[in-house]
Amino acid sequence: MTSFFGRFKAGASPTSPASNNTAAKKDPNAPQPTPLEKLLADAGPIRGDGSDKFFGFENFGSTCYCNSIIQCLYYSVPFREQVINFPFRSPPEALERPTNTTLPRLNTDLLPISNGPNSVLSAKGRNSMSSPTAVSPRKPVINPGATTNPQGIKPEDNKDSPEYKKKQAIAAGPVLTMDYENSKAYGMSESLFASLKDIFEAIIANSSRIGVVSPTRFLEILRRENEMFRTPMHQDAHEFLNLLLNEVVENVEHFSRQRLKEIGDSDSNGLTINSGAVVPDQKSTNSSHNTGWVHELFEGTLTSETRCLTCENTSQRDEAFLDLSVDLDQHSSVTSCLRKFSEEEMLCERNKFHCDNCGGLQEAEKRMKIKRLPKILALHLKRFKYTEDLQRLQKLFHRVVYPYYLRLFNTTDDAEDPDRLYELYAVVVHIGGGPYHGHYVSIIKTQDRGWLLFDDEMVEPVDKAYVRNFFGGENVLACAYVLFYQETTYEAMQKEQEAEGLAAERASAQNEEPIATSPKQNGTTNGHAGHAGHAPHPLQNTTTPLAEIDDQWASLNHAATAPLPVPDQNGLGHVVTSIPILNAKKSNMAFRQEKAEKAREEKERKAAEKELEKQAKQKRKEIENIRRENYRKQDEELKVALAASRATATEEQKQRRKVPVAEAESEKQVEKSKEKENGLAKGGSLSRFRHSSMSLRHKPSFWPGAKEKHDEPKELEQEGSAPPSRETTDGTPAGPPDKPEKSKNRFSLGRKKSTFHL
Amino acid sequence: MFVLPPPPRYPTGYPGAPGTGPLIETNNTLTHPTGPDHQLVVGEGTYILREDLQLATPPPHPSEAPIHNPNPLATTLSPPSSGTKLSLVVLAPRQPSYSRLYKLDTTNSTRSQVPPSIQESPHETNSTASDVGSYSTSGVAPSPLEGQQAPAFGEGNPALSVMIGKDVKDPLKRRKPKSNIVKSNSSFVSRVIPHEALSKRLQEHNPNGLFAFANVNRALQWLDLSSPTKEEHMTKVLFTKAHALCHDINQVTKGPNHMDLVLGFSTGDIIWYEPMSQKYARMNKNGVINASAVSDIRWLPNSENLFLASHMDGSLIVYDKEKEDALFVAEEQSPAAEAGLNEKEQKASLVIKKSVNSKNQKTNPVSYWKVSNSKINAFAFSPDGRHFATVSEDGSFRIIDFLKEQLLHLYTSYYGGMMCVCWSPDGRYIVTGGQDDLVSIWALEDSMLVARCQGHNSWVTAVAFDPWRCDERNYRIGSVGEDCRLLLWDFSVGMLHRPRAASVRQRGSIASATLKVQRSRTEGSTTRLRSNSNLTTGSVLDEEEVVHAVEPRARTAMLPPVMAKSVDEHPLCWLGFEEDCIITSCNNGHIRTWDRPKEGAGSDKDDSTSASMSMSMSMSASVNLSVGASNNA
Repeated sequence: MTSFFGRFKAGASPTSPASNNTAAKKDPNAPQPTPLEKLLADAGPIRGDGSDKFFGFENFGSTCYCNSIIQCLYYSVPFREQVINFPFRSPPEALERPTNTTLPRLNTDLLPISNGPNSVLSAKGRNSMSSPTAVSPRKPVINPGATTNPQGIKPEDNKDSPEYKKKQAIAAGPVLTMDYENSKAYGMSESLFASLKDIFEAIIANSSRIGVVSPTRFLEILRRENEMFRTPMHQDAHEFLNLLLNEVVENVEHFSRQRLKEIGDSDSNGLTINSGAVVPDQKSTNSSHNTGWVHELFEGTLTSETRCLTCENTSQRDEAFLDLSVDLDQHSSVTSCLRKFSEEEMLCERNKFHCDNCGGLQEAEKRMKIKRLPKILALHLKRFKYTEDLQRLQKLFHRVVYPYYLRLFNTTDDAEDPDRLYELYAVVVHIGGGPYHGHYVSIIKTQDRGWLLFDDEMVEPVDKAYVRNFFGGENVLACAYVLFYQETTYEAMQKEQEAEGLAAERASAQNEEPIATSPKQNGTTNGHAGHAGHAPHPLQNTTTPLAEIDDQWASLNHAATAPLPVPDQNGLGHVVTSIPILNAKKSNMAFRQEKAEKAREEKERKAAEKELEKQAKQKRKEIENIRRENYRKQDEELKVALAASRATATEEQKQRRKVPVAEAESEKQVEKSKEKENGLAKGGSLSRFRHSSMSLRHKPSFWPGAKEKHDEPKELEQEGSAPPSRETTDGTPAGPPDKPEKSKNRFSLGRKKSTFHL
Repeated sequence: MFVLPPPPRYPTGYPGAPGTGPLIETNNTLTHPTGPDHQLVVGEGTYILREDLQLATPPPHPSEAPIHNPNPLATTLSPPSSGTKLSLVVLAPRQPSYSRLYKLDTTNSTRSQVPPSIQESPHETNSTASDVGSYSTSGVAPSPLEGQQAPAFGEGNPALSVMIGKDVKDPLKRRKPKSNIVKSNSSFVSRVIPHEALSKRLQEHNPNGLFAFANVNRALQWLDLSSPTKEEHMTKVLFTKAHALCHDINQVTKGPNHMDLVLGFSTGDIIWYEPMSQKYARMNKNGVINASAVSDIRWLPNSENLFLASHMDGSLIVYDKEKEDALFVAEEQSPAAEAGLNEKEQKASLVIKKSVNSKNQKTNPVSYWKVSNSKINAFAFSPDGRHFATVSEDGSFRIIDFLKEQLLHLYTSYYGGMMCVCWSPDGRYIVTGGQDDLVSIWALEDSMLVARCQGHNSWVTAVAFDPWRCDERNYRIGSVGEDCRLLLWDFSVGMLHRPRAASVRQRGSIASATLKVQRSRTEGSTTRLRSNSNLTTGSVLDEEEVVHAVEPRARTAMLPPVMAKSVDEHPLCWLGFEEDCIITSCNNGHIRTWDRPKEGAGSDKDDSTSASMSMSMSMSASVNLSVGASNNA
């Protein structure tokens, strides 16, 4: 991989940032497409579900905690769907409304057929998008070319710095200024949930695939209602996640309750609060939504078993949780942290247990196990720990490894599906030396664009291996803080790994071409071509035609060039200085010697190049023949394959292997069919979520956005309303009925846990 | 906690040898920490830390001076690297004492204790009588002769035998690589630092003493672990930018004046290095055959010239140390390209890009297989030299008959990637470790998961059997992990106890079980594995035999460790058992040697094992368990 970076960097020594700007100088008015733009260059029509929208979020001074969490929630497919569809999806007209005021929107068509990918995504197309009418008036338009001021180099002038990229993102727009209220359109009152829904809907409705969201209204509400977040200080992202989820639950329930009242059901018994979820009355079919969808997604049940050591009596208590906060050990894994979480704990001395059986405080053994596994497992790594000595919180830099896939060991014996497979889909990373300052970003696996880094306004594609950079460790400022695992299946996992592997193979196949045909370049790379398994954007690659490949590499180069030492804008500057510099400073003499050595190496290299070139010429001829032969063969095979692929969709899926070396022409065909497959595959893997989402099921048909498959019989509601056992509708029996006390402290765990460390 | 002042990593001063640039090298340090923190207490006695040898991390090559990147989010991809791994060799021809121990026992033992469901392994070289019929998966009952000596790889190929025959003329004189590494002007090798008194030290070396080769960062060190000055390297080779990720010594060709070492690099290059004569040859130059990094490398069993390298793109390539590179073009169309095979079938087969039986054997590679597109993390040869097992980053674990170039079994980890694999000395069991923090024991005969060993607090990076503590029924396994701990496990055939087979309700998190017994009856699960079964050709094994589903937790025995101890401050990456010691090494270059308990000091081995056997439960429980499995199908 480095070889490719090396090639692009050739001539531009990292110490002379001026040379980095050569491209800009040549054509100052044509901004380079960002890596994200390149990634999306081949995208087809925009989907209506928002899965292919990649918007950054503007930072209003330490609001990165909010941005990173919202991004993680947005890319949870079931969560996004629920937010959009509760109580129903806003009609496009409703979204049109704010356009008259401040929202910059040229085209709110959900499926812009007229907008070819080129017009939307090419740099020029985007510039026209952000023409004066489109850009929010309070956002000064920054001309990318104009930023290269001659005097002094500001941090944001370095094209590789996040600051520059963020500025560029805002400049390029479109900027969705979310300072309006749309809640009336779907009959809700102003709330955090409504505001979140507005943001999601605005992103989906926008005709651009990329842009920046300015969540002003959301922050306004958040700060108005929560004193804690009012200060411009650094906040805890996990704290915010917990608050947001609880708030969403509350808003949704509140809405449903109001709805019931509006309907005027005089029967006061019609309103049943069941473990936090409102189960509507049988008659009030209009509001027949399952408001418990947040629970269904994020909530699991913990059983705490307490065994009194005096009377040997064991008492059990179920607690619901929306996320798990786990203590960390140095050099451990998430698996082990979860196991520790469920280890037996002695309740003694000041922490004795009040035993009902023998009466009075007794010593006891307590352990907590997971009884019901959540669909989305939000794991909070307790990196901020209170230290007695310092009387304040301190950040733990422990190295805690996390796998891409996870199962839970700490389940109860009677747990449902105790071997449930989870996949990592989002990581919230905290960067900084302590809990009171720093920065949050999130790294999220998107539906079909691989992993992306969301750093406020900036969105950038990253390698899958990049996710593993945040295990933590000594002198590692950026560590994972919240991990989002979502339920998946073995089959889905295999499918994905297959796709990734294919992409990697394809990428390496592409790499070999230039090596074979251009030995000169190969020489300069000093044979450092180790790159396999590092496909830039694995999933995306599967749909990339041959012609795009070069662009891709360029994009990677862009992403990978190391930024120069730059003071961080996000209050990180002082932190950065504390990084011990490991490489010894070189004296002048050393530099000279280094130069001499470099010259020598240069000579060697050139000699080697010549030699190689000679060899390669011969080889090239040979290979050319072989390749031609291969192409012919493969083309034939492809035709066969295509014929076969039409047979069934599953068959198609399997034919994918053949695509890489196919001719561009036939490639396109395949691609189309693949696109279809992708959709299918994804739909398949996620159908479980759809299945179990109550609000989708019980959507009245007259509401727009309702899908035909949701016209489920109403019996389910009745069933659900009768006993306090909330069932997931996919036929799996829920655990024992919740105890009455449960509804009271249903989120106590999450809150308790979070207050632990603040 | 013992805390030693770490040696300065990049001290100033001490200019390097002239002409090689301003390289600053530090020396290895040897310490002898003592105290209860440095003891491993097990049933048989106490292992005591003999010494801690820290290899000096070399400074970066001047041309590779890393640009310190203040942005913690920099998306720069770092090339693959690995912690310090060791290749150990004793020059004197020695019959491993353990082989006598367990093999004699195996053949002489009364077999009444062994449940009938366990057949004697065909891989056990001495026990040929029981082989018949046990190896139905390959479809061929091995002849009695085969049990004695596995046929050489590519034996049937005349194109290969010509090359092999070359050396027969002068069997005592080993062929050396061509180039001198000290005088080399290759840009690949940065510098070679032989010890001042190398020849003297070689003369003084006890032929029964251990030589070790260890990689640390971009350096490779040749160490004499039996020398009183073991901290002084014999030779240190510094490479320019490539890191050696793996290496192996040929146990066949080793001799008082000869050692064949192969090294696999992060750049994909492979070096054949003969340290005594300081000669070397470079293969897969600039990735001409395969451009991805080499994750593991090993000499083929009983082969003088051939070695197998696993590349990070999922390829397994056999190279001949004597042959030149040639640009590789897949010779045989992979079965994947044939329209008939669907995805599952592809998965269940080995894609042969170049067969060992290929007529074109003038150049490397000798053979080229692709097992998957996922990175292979490690592989290991079976003791009988017929099979090898590979583990991959996607969590798959394969057993491959490389003589027949066939995939025999494909298993999957509980979750996460698999990182290491090892065969039991008798070839009956295979142990893997991975990112699920588990050590998993697999039985070859039953083609099933025997037990999962839970005890690590992080990923398991290396597993090894302790052959000196294995007999026909009891096995000692060691494992090290990212949690800096060494765990020892005693596994005996009879002691496995399974969890209460709780009513397992599954919802697809685990693919429908395909246990052997059940497979024959339930058509339902097999149709899932292959949708067009009638297309299966004779050459491809039945997938239902090949692909194995993940075992749910409720059906698998859990094994606790007999010893767990933090033995280093850094994540560990390698583990080795020697007759007199256990050796561990970590990512930061610490090599720690733990002396075995002195004889008579500890309790007898039998004490520990007999206790465990008393709570025995027959392995034949597997049959009962599979009945439960069929309920799910």
